[in-house]
Amino acid sequence: MTRSRIFFTGVGGQGTLTATTLLARTALDAGFPVTSGEIHGMAQRGGVVESTLLVGGYKSAVIAPGEADVILGFELLETLRALPMLRRGGFVVGNSESLQPVGVCLGRECYPPLEQVLEIAKGFAARVVMAPCISLAEQAGTAKAANTVLLGAAAACGALPFTLEALARSIEKYLKPKLVEVNLKALALGAGAVAASQAA
Amino acid sequence: MGKELLSAAAGETLLLLGNEAIARGALEGGVRFVTCYPGTPSSEVPDTFFRLSQGAPYYFEYSVNEKVALEVGGGAALAGLPTLVTMKHVGVNVAADPLMTLAYVSAPGGLVLLSADDPGCHSSQNEQDNRIYARLGGLPCFEPATAQECKDMARDALLLSRRIENPVLLRTTTRINHVRGPVTVGAMPTTPAEKPFAKDPARFVPLPASARVMHVRLRALLDGLVAEADASPYNVESGAGDVGFIASGVSRNYLADVLEEDGLTGTVRLLELGMTYPLPENRIADFLGSCKKVLIVEELEPVLETEIRALAQARGIAVEICGKSEHLPRLGEFSTANVRQAVRAFLGQPAAVVDTLAVPGDLPRRPPNLCAGCPHRAAYYAVREVYGDTAVYSSDIGCYTLGFLPPFRAADFLLCMGSSISTGAGFARASGKPVVAFIGDSTFFHSGITGLIDAVAYNHDILIVILDNRTTAMTGHQPNPGVDTTIFGDNPNPVDLMGLIRACGVEPVKVNPLNHKATLAALTDLSQKHGPRVLVAEYPCPIHARRVGQAKKTLPARVAGDPVACLAVRDNLACPAFAMVDGVFSINAEQCDGCMFCVQLSPEIKPGKKEAK
Repeated sequence: MTRSRIFFTGVGGQGTLTATTLLARTALDAGFPVTSGEIHGMAQRGGVVESTLLVGGYKSAVIAPGEADVILGFELLETLRALPMLRRGGFVVGNSESLQPVGVCLGRECYPPLEQVLEIAKGFAARVVMAPCISLAEQAGTAKAANTVLLGAAAACGALPFTLEALARSIEKYLKPKLVEVNLKALALGAGAVAASQAA
Repeated sequence: MGKELLSAAAGETLLLLGNEAIARGALEGGVRFVTCYPGTPSSEVPDTFFRLSQGAPYYFEYSVNEKVALEVGGGAALAGLPTLVTMKHVGVNVAADPLMTLAYVSAPGGLVLLSADDPGCHSSQNEQDNRIYARLGGLPCFEPATAQECKDMARDALLLSRRIENPVLLRTTTRINHVRGPVTVGAMPTTPAEKPFAKDPARFVPLPASARVMHVRLRALLDGLVAEADASPYNVESGAGDVGFIASGVSRNYLADVLEEDGLTGTVRLLELGMTYPLPENRIADFLGSCKKVLIVEELEPVLETEIRALAQARGIAVEICGKSEHLPRLGEFSTANVRQAVRAFLGQPAAVVDTLAVPGDLPRRPPNLCAGCPHRAAYYAVREVYGDTAVYSSDIGCYTLGFLPPFRAADFLLCMGSSISTGAGFARASGKPVVAFIGDSTFFHSGITGLIDAVAYNHDILIVILDNRTTAMTGHQPNPGVDTTIFGDNPNPVDLMGLIRACGVEPVKVNPLNHKATLAALTDLSQKHGPRVLVAEYPCPIHARRVGQAKKTLPARVAGDPVACLAVRDNLACPAFAMVDGVFSINAEQCDGCMFCVQLSPEIKPGKKEAK
């Protein structure tokens, strides 16, 4: 049976938890046992939001450093911060666009460039895919669908234990009807970003 | 999760949060009365009951604090109704007074107290282990480890409580409250048989003479429950060999994953405990007797370890027992990583080498921050302008605790819910320094008001700023006694905060903190007075106002003049809507809530313009 530990990281309000639940439902519908973990409360006030999805029979919903098969990063800096969670040979699928923390805005801290994230992950991860999720989501109709763009990219590059089509079915089944179309578009744009990066 | 939590039929599988599963389990156990005070990580249990409460078969309330929740719930259980009372671990401290006598007095209808502990302090001021309260108060204790067990144990705890007519503790931890997993639901019960209250003061009134008798009854009851714990289906033994592991709660998950991944499943003996108090003594003694050495895996305090060491001594079992003193930490959360190292050390194997990526240590931090448009930011700014570093700031529990971060640095000490006024008063009396205490509206009703009464009675020299955002924001916008609006509409009986303060003996001053000039004037005036003074800074939490449809549509602010000339506003407010784009200060229109506070601080910042058609 496929076993996979997926680590989600982003900033409060980015839809990290919604994406986690959508993947959990997709995995359950595919017949895999799942357990998933999230942290609520103070983390939501503009802080980092991390969640986990463990597919294939794990009991613990927690992922320790070096254990993640996949890192899904909804924000560039948070993707970099989460890299120690990755196991050698895992996948990193991330948003190449940033949300400034307050210290960066105040000029006290420097935001790391995309190249630095790629440089660090290279040679350790089997595959690193970075897509401009917010821009692509806007292209799909709303910046709020950036989380779905990322899921599209993750499914298309084979990071997830189920197909892009299975994810599309979950979007149709579990999202509110008025959100389905824009999220299907976002999913396709995410998948397209992977195809483009392979062609390049 | 909508109404299906109420409507799902036996055998259906739902993907549930641990806290939602607890709510379903209590419903399957026939719960008819639910009280709480919200607190992370417990909040989604009462929130689920609140959301489903219209037309549901139970009474629900967000009580004013945990002590009141347990007392109201205790009354309902005395009247015969199956009752659930929920709170976070530190909330049990607030409820500790009634709790310590509740098991003496008994709970004929059945009463389950949910204590949601927080190892690792994800959203709490400490990581106390409330399994100790089970021992102190004499409550049987269940410790679930999965969403399914959250559901099953909530039901079985309530059924057990109703049967033995005594309160039961359901003890979870953050990772269990916020786990999400498949839950196969059971049947919803019919209305439980009535247990009408029969007056019996000797049973229900713990005057000293009767309390002594009650204590004898309680100890006998708990002794009798050892057999129940021995036979509990939640206490499961597996594997073989003479090396053993005993684990409880979430530690069972870490241990199971480590044993499986390291190929040890079945080659060692494993005793997993889900019903942990009273201790299943005979079952554990049998287990110990079949092992040469045993590692006890439990987060936080060595509760089971201490009891099991004592049990081995009392029964004369020669077995090596390891735990906190040898291989496992007493602080913080476990993970598969540290449980793996403990298992390897216990088995005499070399430590596992973990291959991980290193990232720079100086990455920008992303601490939680007051939201864009949060009225607390404006209140803190004004207080800082008047007092700067001359005052000592006494803080309390809520979103506004984040005021401790720069640029406000508006928290110099904090003990617990409701402590800001009384601790500030003591500090002012002892030091003679000016003290400003901050407290939210929900926290004031919870337990701040007693501090105000004390401050008036003893003329403590303190300025109290009540940050009234018309909701309990931190834990997810639950209503409190003072609110005008809930997700269900208008509150018919709001408690009058201003009148309450006045009745305590202080004439409060009310301002809208987003009106900077008025707030500054009020604070300047109050700073020149002595004795207890109260400023009510009232403006609704913007997230809550949007949720209940009361937010006014406003356009975002924009930097219209020289961006360099308004950098002080950036530095002094640190609003999350502020950004530096290509090195130039700007306001992110997507993030800006349109509160227009920054507009009042610099002529370079203007309200947004309507787009030209």
